Amino acid sequence: MNDKITVCILDDEPIVGDRLRPELEDDGYEVEVFTDSASAIKRVEEKSFDIVITDLKMEGVDGMGFLEKVKEKGPNTEVIVITGYATIETARESFVKGAYDFIAKPFRISEIRDVVKKAKRRVRKSRAKVSG
Amino acid sequence: MGVLERITGWLENLQPWKQKDSVPFTDLFVRFHQIMQENNAALELIADMEDKLGGEFVFDRKYLTDNVQKIEDILRRSAYNFNFITDNRYLEINAVIEDIVKRLQMELAGQIVIPKGKTILALGEIAEVMDDAVGNKAYNLSRIVNLPQAKVPPGFVVTIGGFRKYLAYNNLFDQIEALLKDGFRDEHSLESVSQQCRLLILGGDIPPELRREILVAAEEICEGRPEDCYFSVRSSAVGEDGELSFAGLHESYLNVPFRELLSSFKKVLASLYSPGGLKYRFARQMPPNDLAMAVLYQLMVPSRVAGVAYTLDPNNPQQEVCLIASSWGLGKVVVEGSGEVDTYRISRRSPHTILDQRTGSKERMVAPFETGPSREVSPELRDTPSLKPEEAAEVVETALILERYFKRPLDIEWSLDQEGQLWALQARPLGLSGTRGSRSAELKGLLKQYPALLDKRGVIAYRGIGAGQVWVADDIQDLENFPNGAVLVSHFAMPWLAKALPRASAVITDMGSPISHMATVAREFRVPTIVDTGLATSVLKPGQEVTVDAERNVVYQGRINELLHYQLLEKAPFEATFEFRLLRRALKHIAPLSLINPEASNFTAKGCQTFHDVLRFIHEKSVRTLVQVGADPHSLLRRGGKRLRTDIPLNLILIDIGGGLAKDVGKSEWVLPEQIASRPMKALWRGMGSPTGWNTDPIAVDFQGLMSSVTRTQASQISGQVMTGLNLAVLGADYLNLSLRVGYHFTVVDASIGPQQENNNIYFRFFGGATSLDRRSRRANLLHSILEKVGFKIEGQGELVLARATNLTVEQVYNYMNLIGRLIGFARQLDVLLIDDSTVAVYFEKFVNENNLDNSHPGG
Repeated sequence: MNDKITVCILDDEPIVGDRLRPELEDDGYEVEVFTDSASAIKRVEEKSFDIVITDLKMEGVDGMGFLEKVKEKGPNTEVIVITGYATIETARESFVKGAYDFIAKPFRISEIRDVVKKAKRRVRKSRAKVSG
Repeated sequence: MGVLERITGWLENLQPWKQKDSVPFTDLFVRFHQIMQENNAALELIADMEDKLGGEFVFDRKYLTDNVQKIEDILRRSAYNFNFITDNRYLEINAVIEDIVKRLQMELAGQIVIPKGKTILALGEIAEVMDDAVGNKAYNLSRIVNLPQAKVPPGFVVTIGGFRKYLAYNNLFDQIEALLKDGFRDEHSLESVSQQCRLLILGGDIPPELRREILVAAEEICEGRPEDCYFSVRSSAVGEDGELSFAGLHESYLNVPFRELLSSFKKVLASLYSPGGLKYRFARQMPPNDLAMAVLYQLMVPSRVAGVAYTLDPNNPQQEVCLIASSWGLGKVVVEGSGEVDTYRISRRSPHTILDQRTGSKERMVAPFETGPSREVSPELRDTPSLKPEEAAEVVETALILERYFKRPLDIEWSLDQEGQLWALQARPLGLSGTRGSRSAELKGLLKQYPALLDKRGVIAYRGIGAGQVWVADDIQDLENFPNGAVLVSHFAMPWLAKALPRASAVITDMGSPISHMATVAREFRVPTIVDTGLATSVLKPGQEVTVDAERNVVYQGRINELLHYQLLEKAPFEATFEFRLLRRALKHIAPLSLINPEASNFTAKGCQTFHDVLRFIHEKSVRTLVQVGADPHSLLRRGGKRLRTDIPLNLILIDIGGGLAKDVGKSEWVLPEQIASRPMKALWRGMGSPTGWNTDPIAVDFQGLMSSVTRTQASQISGQVMTGLNLAVLGADYLNLSLRVGYHFTVVDASIGPQQENNNIYFRFFGGATSLDRRSRRANLLHSILEKVGFKIEGQGELVLARATNLTVEQVYNYMNLIGRLIGFARQLDVLLIDDSTVAVYFEKFVNENNLDNSHPGG
C-alpha cells in the first residue's frame, strides 16, 4: 500500500496551487492541482484523496458543491476550505457539510502546512482503524 | 497668490455656505479626526500589502484588487474631508489621486506603464518590475546598480516606448505585423520575412525628438568629451535574458564611437527580426505580436581583461565551484568562443581559492576604444594567465553577491579595467538542466544531522535561504566592519540595521515585526529575514557559521551547501510569480514616500506621486489648517481652546478633538497638566518635566553665538518670519499634534495610538534656530544620532531634523514620547553650545548617559 498521503488542491487562481504544491511535496505529500472544478470532480470520482484543499467561491465553480461531492465519495477525506470571502456564514456552512478546517486568504504558508499536518494525523488514525 | 486664485477665493467667499465662520470648529474637528483615522487605516493597508512581498503569504489577484480599491476609496473620502476643512483650497488633489488610480489600473491590467514623457531612462532611474519596458538585460543591470558592492558602467536605455515611436514615425506597424503574421505560418518563410523586416527598419528614420534625447543622454555620460567616448550598444529585448536567454540572437555592438550611436540604434532594432531570433520564437510557439526591443547604451570601460563567470558549474551544479573564462581586452573572444581563453575553477567558499586553472594560448584580442578588427596579442602575454588569483577571487565574490540577490545561478559578463576596477557588464540566469522540484528525502535526512539552533521561532519577514558567519550588532557602530555575506543578528529590528542589509546573507532579530522599516529594506534587497525570535542574540554566537532557512523557519549550526543549492535550483523563486510581480508593480504607485520634507518646494498636491504621498500631504496640510485657523489665540480660546497652566514658559494652547482633556475641565480657560487625558501628550509632558528635560538654568552664550542670534533676528523680521510664540497642541484621547515655537526653533510632534500596533506611530520634526548654519547642522546631527540610536528612522538632512517611528507597542509610544519631551527641552539652546564638531559627541554622551539610553532602548 502506498503510504504517501494524497492531497488534491482546487482553486481557480493558479497561484494557490503553484505555491502550495512544492511546499506540500517538500513535506512528502503526493499533490494534484486543479484550477477548474469539472476536472477536479472527474479526478475525485476516479481516485479518493486523503486530503482536499478547496476554495469556496470561484468564478463559475461551486466550491460548496465540490465539498459535498468529495465527502459523499469519501467520508474519510479531510477537506480544508480556503476562501477570500471569509465570513462566519460560509465557514459555518462548510463545517456543517463536513469540512475539517477553514483558512482565510491570504494565508501564511506555515499556517496551511500546520493545518494539513493536523489533517494528516487524522487520516493516519482513521487508516489505522480501518486496517486494525 | 495668483490673480486667478484670488478671484476664485473671492468668489468662494461670496458663497455664504463656504464662509469660514459658517464651519463650526467642532465640525472641523470631526472632519479632522476622520482624516486622521482614514490615514491610519490606509497606512495599515499599505503595510499589509508590503508584508505580502516577503513570500510567506499566498495571496491572489483578488486580494490585490480589493486592497487597492479600499485605499482608493479612503483617499477619495479623505480628499473630500480635506477640502471641507480647507475651504476647497486643494481641489487639485482629486485629479492627482485619479491620475495615480489610472496608472494603478493600467498596472493591474498588465499594461506597461512608462514614466510620463520618458522614452529614455538612465540605468539608475529604472524602477522595480519595469522589465517589460526596458527588457531583461537592462533591467537586470539596473538592479545591480542599486547594490552597493558592484559597479556597472554608466548607461541609459531607450525603452520599448522608443521602439514604438520609431515604428510609428516610419509607418511600419502594419507592414511588419502583416509580414510576421504571414511568415509565422511555416518555418521556411521566416528567412525572407526576417530580411524584409530588417530592411524596413534599417530604411527608416529616427524621430527627431528621439535622436535628440539619445544624443543628450550620451553627452551627459561623456561629460562633455564625446570625441573620446565609446559605447556598447546592446539589444535588450523583452523576454531576452530572462528565463529564455536568446543568447547571441540579437545584435550588440562594442566600441561604438559617438558619431555612430544613432546608426547603431537602427541596427540593434533590426536585429529583433534576425532569422535566428524569429526561428527561436517560432520553435517555442511564442506569438510574434509582442516583439519589442529596448536598446541599452553603456559607456565602454578601458578593459584590460574581461570574460564570463558562471556561479555554478552547469555540469556539476552540486559542487561548490564557480567557473571563469577570461582573456585580454574585451570579453568578445570569450563570449563568441572564437579563440583559446583562460579557464578557472574556483571555490565558492571564501577566500575563493583556484582549484584548477588552464591557460589558453590567447592569440587575438579586441582592445577597448578600437573600432577596427581584433589584433594580435603580444607574444609575452599570449600564454600568461590573464587573471591573478586575487583578481579571480574578486570576480567570484562579486558574482556570488549578485547570485544572492537574484536567487539564481548566474552567467555574468565582467571586465577589469586598467586601474583594477571590476565592472559587471551583464547578468542573466544560468540555464541548468536537471533542476529539482521539491526537497528530496536525502536533503531532509541530511538536515536532521545539523543541530537546529532556532526552530520555528519568530516570524518570516522575507523567505529564502542564506548562510554565513553570525555578526551581532548592538549598536550602529557595530556595522562599520560588517563583512560581506555575514548573517546579521540583532536584538531589535532597528531602522539603522538597513545600512548593512545589502551585504547580509540573512537577518535574524530577537524582537520586531515583519512590517518594520528594517523588514521593508530586507525585502528590497531580498535578504532572507526572520524577526521576533525572542532569543537569537543569546543563542547565536558571533563568528559562528549558520544556515538560515527562512522557508521552514529554522536556523542550523554550520553551512549546509545542499540547502543553499536547493534554493538556487528551485524551479521558480516566488518573486517570479505573476501575483508577486503584480503586487510589486502596484506597490510602486502606492507605498514609496517621496514627499518627505514639508518645507521643500515639491511639497504640493501636484508633487504627490504615490498614494502614500497623498496621505502624507493631506495629513500635514490638515494639521496646518487647524493650527492656522487658530493662529489668533483669542479666536482659539473663544472657540473652545484652553490654556495650560504650567511653570514652563510655554504659552501652550490646547485643542481637544475628543477625549484629549479630562471631562472636568468645564468652561474654564485654564487647565492643569493633570487634566490632560491624551495618552501621548501625558507621556510627552512627563518627559518635558523631568530633571533631564527642560533646563531653566541660564546658558552662557558665547559672543559669536549671540551675534549670530542677533543677526538672524533681524533677518527674520525683515522676511516677516518672526515666530509668534503661539504653541498649540491638538489633543485626542490617543492623538497628539504639537507645534511648538520656542525662540527660533520650530518643533512638530505628531503621535497616534490606534486599535492595532501598526497604527501606533510618531513623527518628529525640528528646525530653525538662532545661530549660524553650522551650529544648527551640528544640533541636527546630534538629534539624529540620538533618535537613530533609540530606533527612529531618520529622514531629514542638513539642519532639518525629521524622524519617524512606526509600528510601535503602546508602551514604546509612551517611552518615545517621554524621551521626545526630554529631548525638546535638551535641544532648546543646544545650537548655542555646539561650538565645534567635538562638542556634538560630548553632548551625545551626556544625553545618552543621563537618560540611560545605552542599556535599554525605549524602542525595545
